Amino acid sequence: MKFGRRAFLQFAAGAVGGTLLSPMPWRLADDTAIWSQNWSWRPSPERGPITTVPTVCTLCQGGCGIQARLVNGNRAIYLEGNPVHPINAGGICPLGAAALQYLYAPYRIEQPMKQTRARGEAAGFQPISWSEALDDLVKRLARLKSEGTPGGVACITGSRWNSMDDLWARFFSAYGSAGLFKMPSHSDSLRATAKLALGKDSSLAFALEHASYVLSFGAALVEGWGAPARMQAAFMRWQKNGAGKGAAKLVQVESRCSMSAAKADQWVPVVPGTEGLLALGIAHVMVKENLYDADFVSRGVLGFEDWTDMQGKVRSGFKKIALSPAYAPDQVAARTGVDAAKIQGLAREFASTANAVAVWGGGQQNVPGNIYHEMSFFALNVLRGNLKSGGLVSLVPDVPFQPADDQTAASAEGGAPQIKLGSVPGTRVPLPGNGIYGFLDILTRGMIPPLEVLFVHDANPAYSLPENKIFKAALDKVGYVVSMSPYMDETAMTADLILPNHAAFEGFEDVVGLPGVPYAYYAVSRPILKPRKDTKHSGDVVLQLSKALGGNVAAALPWASYEEYLKNRVNALAASKRGAVADKKDIDLSKLQSSVSVSPNFKDGTDLWKKLTGGFCWYDVPVDVRSAVDTDSGKIELAFRAIQGKGLNVEDDQVYLPHFKPLPPSGDEKEYPLLLLSYGMLSLSCENLANPPFMTKTLWDFVLKKNDLFVEVNPATAGPLGMIEGSKAVLKTPQGEVAVRVHLSQAARPGAIYMPQGLGHTAYDEFIQGKGVNSNSVVEVQVDPITGMGTVWATRAQLRRA
Amino acid sequence: MDKALIPEGVKRCPLPAFALWVLVLLGVIGWGVYAGIMVLLKALNLTGLNDYFGFGLYITVDLAIIALGAGAFFSGFLYYGLSRFFPALKELHKIINLAVIVGFVCYTGALAVLLLEIGQPIRGWFGYWHANVHSMLTEVIFCITCYAIVLVIEYVPIVLENRKLSEIKPLRLFGHNLHELMAIFALTGTFLSFFHQGSLGGVAGVLFARPFAYRTGFFIWPWTFFLFIFSAIASGPGFTALICRGIEKVTGKNLVDRSVYELIAKIVGGLLLFYITLKIADTLYWALVLAPEAGLKLTDFYWGPYGIWLLVTEIIICGVIPAILLLTPKTRQSNIIMFSMFFLNCVGVCINRFAMTVQAIAAPVMPFDKWEIYVPTVYEWAPCIAMVAYCILIISLSYRYLPLFPRERELNPAP
Amino acid sequence: MSGNGHSQSGVRFGMAIDLDRCTGCMACSVACQAENNVSFRADESDKLRSITWLEVYHLQNGKEYPDYQFTYLPRPCMHCDSPHHSPCTFVCPVNATTRDEVSGIVNHIYPRCIGCRYCIVACPYHARDFNWWDPKWPKSMESMLSPEVSTRMRGVVEKCTFCHHRLLKARSKAYLDGIDPNEATYAPACAEACPTKAITFGNLLDPESAVAKLSKDPRAFRILAKLNTEPKVYYLSKHQWVHKLGDNSF
Repeated sequence: MKFGRRAFLQFAAGAVGGTLLSPMPWRLADDTAIWSQNWSWRPSPERGPITTVPTVCTLCQGGCGIQARLVNGNRAIYLEGNPVHPINAGGICPLGAAALQYLYAPYRIEQPMKQTRARGEAAGFQPISWSEALDDLVKRLARLKSEGTPGGVACITGSRWNSMDDLWARFFSAYGSAGLFKMPSHSDSLRATAKLALGKDSSLAFALEHASYVLSFGAALVEGWGAPARMQAAFMRWQKNGAGKGAAKLVQVESRCSMSAAKADQWVPVVPGTEGLLALGIAHVMVKENLYDADFVSRGVLGFEDWTDMQGKVRSGFKKIALSPAYAPDQVAARTGVDAAKIQGLAREFASTANAVAVWGGGQQNVPGNIYHEMSFFALNVLRGNLKSGGLVSLVPDVPFQPADDQTAASAEGGAPQIKLGSVPGTRVPLPGNGIYGFLDILTRGMIPPLEVLFVHDANPAYSLPENKIFKAALDKVGYVVSMSPYMDETAMTADLILPNHAAFEGFEDVVGLPGVPYAYYAVSRPILKPRKDTKHSGDVVLQLSKALGGNVAAALPWASYEEYLKNRVNALAASKRGAVADKKDIDLSKLQSSVSVSPNFKDGTDLWKKLTGGFCWYDVPVDVRSAVDTDSGKIELAFRAIQGKGLNVEDDQVYLPHFKPLPPSGDEKEYPLLLLSYGMLSLSCENLANPPFMTKTLWDFVLKKNDLFVEVNPATAGPLGMIEGSKAVLKTPQGEVAVRVHLSQAARPGAIYMPQGLGHTAYDEFIQGKGVNSNSVVEVQVDPITGMGTVWATRAQLRRA
Repeated sequence: MDKALIPEGVKRCPLPAFALWVLVLLGVIGWGVYAGIMVLLKALNLTGLNDYFGFGLYITVDLAIIALGAGAFFSGFLYYGLSRFFPALKELHKIINLAVIVGFVCYTGALAVLLLEIGQPIRGWFGYWHANVHSMLTEVIFCITCYAIVLVIEYVPIVLENRKLSEIKPLRLFGHNLHELMAIFALTGTFLSFFHQGSLGGVAGVLFARPFAYRTGFFIWPWTFFLFIFSAIASGPGFTALICRGIEKVTGKNLVDRSVYELIAKIVGGLLLFYITLKIADTLYWALVLAPEAGLKLTDFYWGPYGIWLLVTEIIICGVIPAILLLTPKTRQSNIIMFSMFFLNCVGVCINRFAMTVQAIAAPVMPFDKWEIYVPTVYEWAPCIAMVAYCILIISLSYRYLPLFPRERELNPAP
Repeated sequence: MSGNGHSQSGVRFGMAIDLDRCTGCMACSVACQAENNVSFRADESDKLRSITWLEVYHLQNGKEYPDYQFTYLPRPCMHCDSPHHSPCTFVCPVNATTRDEVSGIVNHIYPRCIGCRYCIVACPYHARDFNWWDPKWPKSMESMLSPEVSTRMRGVVEKCTFCHHRLLKARSKAYLDGIDPNEATYAPACAEACPTKAITFGNLLDPESAVAKLSKDPRAFRILAKLNTEPKVYYLSKHQWVHKLGDNSF
C-alpha cells in the first residue's frame, strides 16, 4: 500500500478532526462536570417564601429580643437580634446565633422514655406514651400525698427569672413539699445581700449605663455577667467618645487577665480569693481619709457607727472594722499582691470620680459568693453613697403581676419554700438561701428520708453542678428520677423517666426581670414553630399533674395550659396599669427614673398579650431604693442583725459585719501547692445547654485540641514542673484527677491554674462528647456557713507531667 | 525470549531478570495508583495539605520534574534548531532520543500527579473553557497539555523504531514521516516549553501579596518567569546526562561518548553561571528593595526548618560551585566531579522549586501570623514515588526495546 | 470574564472593626456560619483545615504578667481593592473568583472552581478555606440550611462574601421600590449580630457613611497596609501595640 506524505497527513488530520467534531468528547466532558456540581449527597435546601417571626430568646436570663427567619413557615434557618428591642438593639450573642442547633439537634429526645434496665444504661431507655408516663407519675404523687409524705417529692430547676419558677412554687406549695431547689447562681448571693442590708427579697441592680467609673471585683462583665447583651451594650457606651477616650473607666480586679481585664482601662491583678480583702483595704482608706459620703451614711445607714443589738449590747460598727490595722494598705498589700500606693490610688479615684460604682460576682457559670465578701463589695457602694434615689445601685424591680397589696405576689425571681435546714439535727445554717448543696448533703447522709420522686427541669446537675459528684451520690437516695430535659444530657441519662420538654422556641416562655438591671422588664417568648417531636411543655406537664391530683393542688393551679397561665399573668400585669411596651426603635430604658412614671400604651390584657407575643417587651421605672428599704431599722444595714438568734456564736462583733473571711479549701498545701480556678467564656456554653458545634468551632486550639483540654499556666510555674507548651499533664485536686494539657500564658497568675468551664461532656453526640474535661468534677465547693450556699472560688491543686 | 523485540546488534539482560525489575516497578506504581485512587475517592484531606499550604509535595515534585525534564526541549532546540549554526552541537544527536523520552515521562508523570492535585479534577478542562487571560495557571494548563501532546508526538517515532514494529511497513513509513517533521515539533515544543516553564515561574512571581515570591519584572512577566526558564535549561540537560550515566552503570555499558557529557557539562556550566548570576542579583533586589517595600525584612522569610540554609545551599552549594567546577576543564575531566555537579545542580533546582512554592506560602505575611510546618502524608509520597517508578519503567522499556543510542554498538564491541 | 476593574461605580463596600469594642464573644463568627451554611465537623481543633469565613485571631502584647494584654481580631475577607485585580482574582485559572466592580465584592462561583488552590496561595490573609472533605451535616440539621446561600462540595474553595446574597436581595428590593439599586445598603450577618456594634459596614466611597468616617479615624489601621492589596477592612484600636502587631510599618 502506498502511504505517501499526503495520505499520512490526511489520515492524521482526519483522525483528530473527526473525533473533535463529534459531540462525544465535548458532551462527555460537560456531563461529567455537571455531575460533579450536583452530587446527590450534597444537601439542597428546600426553597420557598421567607418570613420573619419576632420573639424573645430564653436560652439564658438575658431577655434579648430576636427574630427567626423561616422558609415555607415550617423550617427555621436563622436567628438574629430584633433591632427594635431595647436590650440588645439588633445584636445577638453567640448562643442565640447558634440556637437553631438545639432545635435541630440530633440528640433531642423524641418522646417520653422509660428506663427499663439499670439506671444509667443507655440501651435501657424505651419509648412510652405520654398518658402512660403521666398516669404512673400521678399515681406516685397521689400516693405520697395521701400517705402524708409529700416531702418525698423534690425538684431541681434551672428556671429563674421566668414564670416556670413561679409555677413550680405554686405546685410545691399546694402539694405540701418544701423540696424546690434551684441550680446555684450568683443572684442567690445578691438576693441574700439585699435581704440582709435592705430587707428585700430581690436581687441587686446596677445602673451601669450611667457609670463613669466601674470598679469590678472579678465580675466577668463582658463574658456573661448579669444580662449578657445588656452588658455588651453598656460596654459599648463606656467605649464611646471616640479618639480612644471612653465614657467610663473600667478597673478590673482579677487574678487572671480575662477578657474583661484585657478590655479594662486598668487591670489590678490580685491573689485569688483576696478581692474582698482589697475592697476592705479601699474602705479603710476611704474611711480614714474621710472620702466617703458621710452625710448619706449618717442619715441612712445602720451599722457604720457602733450599734446596739437586740439584747441591748453595743457592738462595733463597720467603721471600726474598716479602720482596723488588718485592713491598712500595707497589710492588705502583703496578702493581695496589690501594692499600698495602688490601693490608696484606687480608693481615692473611686471616691472622687463622679458616678463611680463597685460591682462583683462570677461570670457565666455564675455561682454564689462568700457572703462577707459580697457585703464588703456592697459596703463600698454604701460608702460611695450609691444607694440613693436614682443612684447607681438599687434593686431589680418586681413585675406587678398582682395588685400591690396581694401578699402572695411572687417576686421577680420567685421565692421558693425551702427545706428548713436549721430544723434538721446536725445542720446549722443561720440564714435562708438557695440550699441545694445543703439539701443534697443531708439527703446523701441519710439525715432526711430518701426522696421518692425527684424532678429535674431546665437543668443538668449531673454535669454543671460544681462538685457534681455530690449530685450523683445523692441519686442513690432517690427512688424515681424524672428528667424533663429535651436533650439526652448527663442527667437525663441517669433518669428513670424522661418527660421531654419542648426545645427552645417551640413553646411559650417568658422573661420576668433581668439580673442586675434596674428597670422593670417583662417579655413573652412565643414559639416560632410547632414542636417537632412528641414533647410537652413542662408547664403543661405540671398543670396536667395538678389536675389529675385533684383537691387543693388542682384548685391552686386551675389553668388548662401553660399558655393560658401566661395569658393570665399578662392580664394581671395589664390590670396593674403600670409600665409600657417598647414598640419603637431606639427607646433608651436606662433613661427611666423612678420618680417619672410611664404611661401605659396598652389597652388591656388581650392587647398587651398581642404586643408581647409580637416580640415587644414591657418595661417600667426603676425602684426608688431609699423608699424600698424594709429593714427593721428602716435604714440600710451594714450589720447583719438577722444573724442574731440563729444559733451562731455571736460573741465576736465581726460576725455581724463585712470582714475578710476566706473559706479555706481542703487539701494539704504541700501536696497541692497550686490553686485551680475555673473560668467561663461567652463563646463556650457551660450550664444546662451543651456547646453547639458552631461555637465549638470558635474555641482556640490552645483551649481544646482534638479531645484534650488545655489548662492555662504561667511559664514561671510550668517551667520548674518540666512543662512546655502543650505538655501532657495530670491535674489533681482533693476532688479527683484528670488528664489535661498545658497552655503557657502570661495571662495566668504564677501559682494558679485556670481551667475553662463547659467541656468534658459525656453525653450528647460526637460533636460534643468526650472533648476535654468537666471542671465541675475537679473543683471544690466551700459551703458558706452563714447562708448555706455553695461557693466556688479556688481549689487546691497539683500539676505533674503525664 | 524477547530477542525479536530487542534492537539488532545489542545485548540486553535475560528476560526473567528484566521481568522481575518490571514487577518491582509495577508494585511501586500500584502502591501509588492505590493512594491516588483513595485521594480521588475520599478527597484531599488524606494529604498533609491544609489552608496554609495550598501547594505542597504534588506541586513541588511537579515543578521539579518539569524543570528537570526541560532537557528534552532544550536539547531538542539546540540540536534541531541551533546545530546548523554551531556544528559542535551535533554531538547531542547521540543522546537526543533519551532526552525526548526523559521529557515525555517527566511531563506525562507530572500530568498524572496534577490530576490528584486539584480538588475537582473532572472540571480541570474549565481552564480552557473559562480561561482567565491574567492567570499564570491558565497559561500553565494550556501549555502543559499542548506540550505533553508534542512530547507524545516526539516519542511515537522512537517507539516505531522498535524492530518488530518497524517491520510493519505502514508504521515504519508513518514513523519515518514523523521523523522528518521532527524539527517542527521540536521547535513548537521549544516555544511551548519556554512559555510554560516561564509561566510556572510566573505562578510564584505574580503573587503580589506574598512578598516572598513576588517579583517585579518586565511587561506582564515577573523575573521569576525568566529565572525558572534559565534554571530549567541549566539543569535539564544535566539531568538527562545523569540518567544516561545511571543506565550505563546499571547495564555495565557505554552508551554515549564522553564527548557528549563534556559538551553537556560545558552547556550546563555556562547556563548555570549565567542563571546564578541573575539569581543572585534577583535575591539582592528582593531582600533590599522588594521586601521592605511590602513592610517586611529578609529575616521574616526564614525560620525553623525553612531556614537560611536553604538559600545558601541553593545558590552557593548547588549553584556557584557546580557552575565553576563544570566550566573548569581540569575538574570537568573527573567523572566523579562532573556527575556530582550535575547532581547538585538538579538538587538546586529542586530546592528552588520547593522554596518558591512551599516556603513561599509558609512564610507568614500578616505580622501576627505564625509559621506552620508542612508534612506530607503517604498519600502524597506514594503517587510521587510511583511517578518516578513510572519514569524508570518507561525508560527501562525504551532502553530494552528501542534503539535509543546510535553509538551503542560501536562503544560496546562484542568480545 | 475576570472582572478586571476597568470600570468602577460609586460603591465600594467595606468594613471597620473596632477592636476596642470587640469583647471576643464570637457572635460574628457564629452568625456567619449560620447565615452562610458553613459546614462543621466533629473535630474543629485543626485550625488549618477548619472552615471559618470570619476567623478570629488572638493577639497579645508579648509582655509578662501582669503587664500582659490581649485582644481578639476578627478577620473576614478583605475584598482587596488593589487596582484592576485582587491578588486572588488575578490568579484564578477559571475565573471562578472575580471582583464585582459594581460593589467591590470579591465573589466565588463554587460549581466552576476546580480546586487548584492558587487563590488560597495568593491570599496573605488566609481568608480562603478549602473543602478538604465533603461537607456533611447531621440529618436533622439539614433543616436549618438556608436556601439563599448554596452549599458547597468537596474540592472547592470558599470564603467570606460580605453576605453578597443580602446585597442582591437589597438591590432587588430597591429596584421594586423604584429606588436606584446602587443606593441600596445592607448589613452582613456579622455586623448585624455584633452585640457591641463593633463591626460597621457600608460604602467606603460615601463620605457620609459611618464606615468611611471610621476608616479615617486616627485609631484606624489596616493589616500590613504596605502590602499594596488595598484591603477594604479597617481596624480601630487605641493601643499602640495592636497597631504595631497589625500594621508592621517600619
